[in-house]
Amino acid sequence: MKWLESPQDEAEKLLRDSLDLAAQQTGDEISHRRVWAKVADSLLEPERRISGRLVLATASATVAVLAVVGLVVYPYVGSKRPLTAPATTKLAKAPSSEATASPSSLAAAPEPKWIAPEESERAPGNVVSTGKGERARVALGGGATADLAESSAVTWDSQHRPAIEHGSARLSVPHQPPGWRFSVTAGPYVVTVVGTKFTVEVGGRTVGVEVSEGVVEVSRGSHTTRLAAGDAWHGPLYPEESAGSEDQAASVTPPPSERPQPAPARAQVSPAPALAGKPTSLIGRSLPEAEAALRSGDTSRAIDILSRAAQGTGPAAENASYELARVTRYNLGKPRQAVALWDKYRSRFPNGLLRTEADLSIVETLSQLGDVQAALAEANAFISRHPSSERRGDVQRLAERLRAAEASSESR
Amino acid sequence: MVLRSDDDGRASESLTGQNTSMGQKQNTSSPAPVPAAIADAELVRACRSGDMTAWRSLYDRYAPLIHRFSAALGIPAEEREDAAQDIFIAVFRSLRHFRGEAQLSTWIYRIAARHAIRLGRRRRTRETMRVMMLKEKPQPEVDPSERSTRLATLDRMLGKLAPKKRTVLVLFEVEGLSAKEISDVVGCPENTVWSRLHHARAEMVKAARRMVP
Repeated sequence: MKWLESPQDEAEKLLRDSLDLAAQQTGDEISHRRVWAKVADSLLEPERRISGRLVLATASATVAVLAVVGLVVYPYVGSKRPLTAPATTKLAKAPSSEATASPSSLAAAPEPKWIAPEESERAPGNVVSTGKGERARVALGGGATADLAESSAVTWDSQHRPAIEHGSARLSVPHQPPGWRFSVTAGPYVVTVVGTKFTVEVGGRTVGVEVSEGVVEVSRGSHTTRLAAGDAWHGPLYPEESAGSEDQAASVTPPPSERPQPAPARAQVSPAPALAGKPTSLIGRSLPEAEAALRSGDTSRAIDILSRAAQGTGPAAENASYELARVTRYNLGKPRQAVALWDKYRSRFPNGLLRTEADLSIVETLSQLGDVQAALAEANAFISRHPSSERRGDVQRLAERLRAAEASSESR
Repeated sequence: MVLRSDDDGRASESLTGQNTSMGQKQNTSSPAPVPAAIADAELVRACRSGDMTAWRSLYDRYAPLIHRFSAALGIPAEEREDAAQDIFIAVFRSLRHFRGEAQLSTWIYRIAARHAIRLGRRRRTRETMRVMMLKEKPQPEVDPSERSTRLATLDRMLGKLAPKKRTVLVLFEVEGLSAKEISDVVGCPENTVWSRLHHARAEMVKAARRMVP
């Protein structure tokens, strides 16, 4: 039996009822979504402060140990050189198992060697490669990892996308947040995924993609081939040199199962944002900076920060796009401009986490501006777009009032 | 709905809730509960492997709990989103240390309780500073609904309790945890939980009697 379930007086009843009421609180959906967007941003960023110190400490210790070891060992080893690599290459030492590793296990990294390049290192020209008999697991950002087979290399292209330069890499990509797609290039092809596991192979003259889980799209120019789990695809590394058309040169090998074998779907590549553009951490830091600017009363600086962040990709850019409109509305006092910015947000992130909020903000702002017709149109669109929204009732009531206002203005 | 002034000073109904600062708003209603189809242990495993979908599922499952618990522990509405964000980041970052000896919810309660106590301490320091600087306390937005009034009254009563007693009372009476689970969350013997609960209940009844003549 619950405490105070049989209250002795009004006070006890009030207390029990209030506690029961508190137990029913769960927060509202939009607030939860907004928090998730921020949490997701933070999760996609490396633990900079901690890992930064750790790396610095580890590096200093390593340098010290190597210096001592070098002084002691060099005279005995003579000129025998250890395993070497190109200047820009981070080398992974011979691993053997499939053990998973995480940034936390830097100190006692299981094999294959875990390599987590800083975001600044995931830049064009930087290469992570393995030599003969070596394997490495490389963090590609966004939670994605690439298991590099021996004699393989991954680099980053001008758009900061990882690119498999040569060899074979098995990629594991977590499901990406809405509006965010992960791309990796292999020769002239771009492999785009939302969340999946697949292998990319760049051989002497061919590129191969084999999908273990999920769906990936391999595209080149305006052509896209969609591959499902179990599919394998091969295309020429230098299509221009291949005899016949690209269509003939590339081939999809269906999975060994008995499922039907549709011809590989070919479609226009959608302009989905790849994991490129502005570095994630820069965008991720923008919101707190903008918030600080607002707190100090520097609205134009906040707007400037948000505008820059909104040009990026991923959840932080989505947040920034929404917040830009909100700051324009409430801090800058420009409701019309804010509506246009929320509308821009909707076009860019039609299924964004803050879509409902943007729709509501537009309805609200238009109604406050006295733009009855536009507000009513937006309210009706909201009701049909979000039939099960918890805010539907509120919007419906507002729509009724707007209709009444419209009718009265017509009768006048 | 919250009444507020628009740009021209007119009162208007806010559909989006009162924005208190960037990315913060007061809650107004409840989201649909997330079915616990996947066991917590499985979810934790998937999260550890970096599966973003699993992170999202874990978040969806525990976000209402965090919200309710933070509110009952006295984190003001305008700080609740930031607190939830900090708590979840702490949960995800330290998930690799979760050994599965306690229930995941107990472990999350522990992180949330510590965070709430830390925030409470900071808030009290701020209050003291404000009093010392003779600054006026900003008036919070008042939601006149009966539900909000009751919750505000409860918050005032809970606010009179010592943080340790408040945590135990909230975990028992609001969150419905057993004394054993509470002892795991707060890290004290079960007897201490019962003792704190006994005193907290007595103080709450006294406070309620003062409010209802």
